[in-house]
Amino acid sequence: MPKFTLNGQELEAKPGQTIIQAAEDRGIEIPHYCYHPDLPIDGNCRMCLVDVEKMPKLTPACTTIVNEGMVVRSDNERVKEAVRGVLEFLLINHPVDCPVCDQAGECRLQDYYMVYGLHTSEIPLGMKVRKRKVIDLGPMVVLDQERCVLCSRCIRFFENVTETGEMQFFGRGDHVAIGTFEDRPLDNPYSGNVVDICPVGALTSRDFRFKCRVWFLHATDSVCGGCSTGCAVRIDHRDGAIFRLLPRRNVEVNRSWLCDEGRLSFHELHNGERVQRPLMKGRDEVQAPVTWEDAVRAVDSRLREIREVNGADSILGFASPSATNEALFLFKKYVGDQLGASRFDFRLDSEDKKLAEEEDQILRHFDKHPNSMGAIKLGLISPELGGIDGAIDAARVGRIKAGVVMYIEPLVRRPGDEEAEGRLLELIDELEYSVVLATHRAEWQASASVVLPVAAWSEEDGTYTNFEGRVQLAGKAIEPGGDALPVWEVFAMLLHAGGAQSLWMSVGDVFATMTENAQAYRGIGLDQTRLPGVVVG
Amino acid sequence: MVRRFLAGEKGRPRRDALQVQDVQTEVCATFMKKSAKVINISERAERESSFARDMLGPLVGMGLTINRMMDNLTGKVNATIRYPEERRAYSDRFRGAHILTAREDGSPRCVACYMCATACPADCIYIEPAEHPDPLIEKYPARFDIDMLRCVFCGFCVDACPEEAIIMSRESELCAYTREETMWDIKRLMSRPELPEFGLGYRPNETLVDSTIKFVPKEKEKKELAGRITLKEDVEMIPHVTFDPTKD
Repeated sequence: MPKFTLNGQELEAKPGQTIIQAAEDRGIEIPHYCYHPDLPIDGNCRMCLVDVEKMPKLTPACTTIVNEGMVVRSDNERVKEAVRGVLEFLLINHPVDCPVCDQAGECRLQDYYMVYGLHTSEIPLGMKVRKRKVIDLGPMVVLDQERCVLCSRCIRFFENVTETGEMQFFGRGDHVAIGTFEDRPLDNPYSGNVVDICPVGALTSRDFRFKCRVWFLHATDSVCGGCSTGCAVRIDHRDGAIFRLLPRRNVEVNRSWLCDEGRLSFHELHNGERVQRPLMKGRDEVQAPVTWEDAVRAVDSRLREIREVNGADSILGFASPSATNEALFLFKKYVGDQLGASRFDFRLDSEDKKLAEEEDQILRHFDKHPNSMGAIKLGLISPELGGIDGAIDAARVGRIKAGVVMYIEPLVRRPGDEEAEGRLLELIDELEYSVVLATHRAEWQASASVVLPVAAWSEEDGTYTNFEGRVQLAGKAIEPGGDALPVWEVFAMLLHAGGAQSLWMSVGDVFATMTENAQAYRGIGLDQTRLPGVVVG
Repeated sequence: MVRRFLAGEKGRPRRDALQVQDVQTEVCATFMKKSAKVINISERAERESSFARDMLGPLVGMGLTINRMMDNLTGKVNATIRYPEERRAYSDRFRGAHILTAREDGSPRCVACYMCATACPADCIYIEPAEHPDPLIEKYPARFDIDMLRCVFCGFCVDACPEEAIIMSRESELCAYTREETMWDIKRLMSRPELPEFGLGYRPNETLVDSTIKFVPKEKEKKELAGRITLKEDVEMIPHVTFDPTKD
């Protein structure tokens, strides 16, 4: 472990670490454009120049490996003068169109100018080298060559992460610009990442373009609900609407990346009509809105009635692999422990169909539900039932009379989803009494006895278990519409109606009960589920 | 010299100018008037008290009052004006209703950068940007609404604007019959039929730099109003507030 001194402060670096990495670990920021922790080191921007004792010239911190006893200064006049000079060079041909630039507010040029620059530009606007603006680069990216500082992060991303190599430098001298060959669109499934890694406004998001200035947005740390990988994301939202998803760095799962599918998955949430109020079928067999109290009391007493007449095995619990661990745990507790049912499942489409979906070695997973592993770990699968087909058959012959069906719409829609919803319709038609917990209004819910509105992804706190068993915390960003409640709250109410003594006031309470009672989650704490998450056995 | 200074502008004697008697107290009073920080009232009253002053002072003061009264009665000075037939001339920096300026071709100068909306303490500006066909302009406001009921007329939006796209007029009469009318959209903010009556108000440059005001003259509409309310048409405005948008 080499020790070195940075700005008079004794620090310890890991072997092989560069100065910028060692400083970053201690929360000391050395200004940089081209350095990125998940990309190979390039050392072309010269912003990270530091003064190392006994070295004749200033040296870039991103390429210099820490040696024992090194004395480094990043705050003396010599360094500041050099950084100011570099910044002045970078800004020579910059168009300074911050008012129309989407990067404004999170732009490194703006940030460093306020710290190191504050110089007046020697080049009048008319003498600057003009390059091309507003170049359409496929469905995710818009390119503005003038704003580029030529840090080559995007080029290295496509060369090393996706290994497709679409982008390159073109031209010479001060006419160098980034671009794709003949402006071909970036059609690879990770192209949105170059927008995040671009430190300036050269590459901006097509989806987020002009939607909102970034300083109006509020950020909530969450986990992507698009597939079973469970990438750590940041939800940027304002006034109850989500504007964009950005990856958070989780070295164990997604590093700094996020796939385009997941990046755009939040649009599905605002798509279509939501269930607003609890609906219950009256004597006239028409669903009418009722209060939550009435709905919970009616559901609980009717399910108990069916249990008394037909036995506990006549009740089916059909969970959703998109619900949180806490929701699934209380669901199991209510339907399994309190009502005594033993038939559970959560799979709507058969496994071999899933395997045919697109998958790659970077992030994307074939299972488009964020919490299938959680449902498996909580034992929401009964092999003897035989999936949804088995449930439909059992209901047809009368072995299953009632069902509690949870359906949280997947954020990444697939062609097979309508078919899967058709199977739910089949199941509900066969059942004598059916309780549906749904986020979005759909035709198949029309024949259900009770429809309860529940919160979708990003509308409730909770943890998700990804495909490798990593439990991660996802925060609540926006309020669910109408009277919708989080799923765990619905089952907590049902458990209370059925006489449960425990009091669950928050997701933390449910999580605590879950870590006491559920075998797979035993002994983990809520704090452990923050970055990078905890893997359960 | 000192006496003239103390005598006021129009030769009308001031009260405290009459009360000083010798040069020493004159100088003293001048000093007090100039610094005017701490005045020891009791000391001053003792020094200045005398029978003549106590009797004459109120009479002189009354003389001033009577003078003013005569001025008012003869119409030499008028404290009131006949609003709304007459209006006072407001300062060039008056912060009235906003104006969105235009480019040469009449399209909005605004690039929808949200600086005004960010600076706005009343949160009364709503902007919806759209893609401009010219890549050098890139962004323009498809919607630009100002809620005139929420606006506090602080002028921060004018200060924040990097493009001289939003400036203020001297217009202060913003009553409306419905709440909807107080929501000014981009069309209303850009074409200001009321402008000639009021003129430009708070703005970064006295004469606009490479932006113009799209001026649409007011259509003469005669409103039929119920009851005794009548609209006075063709009222002559006092000349110094009339404004020509091409010259100002």
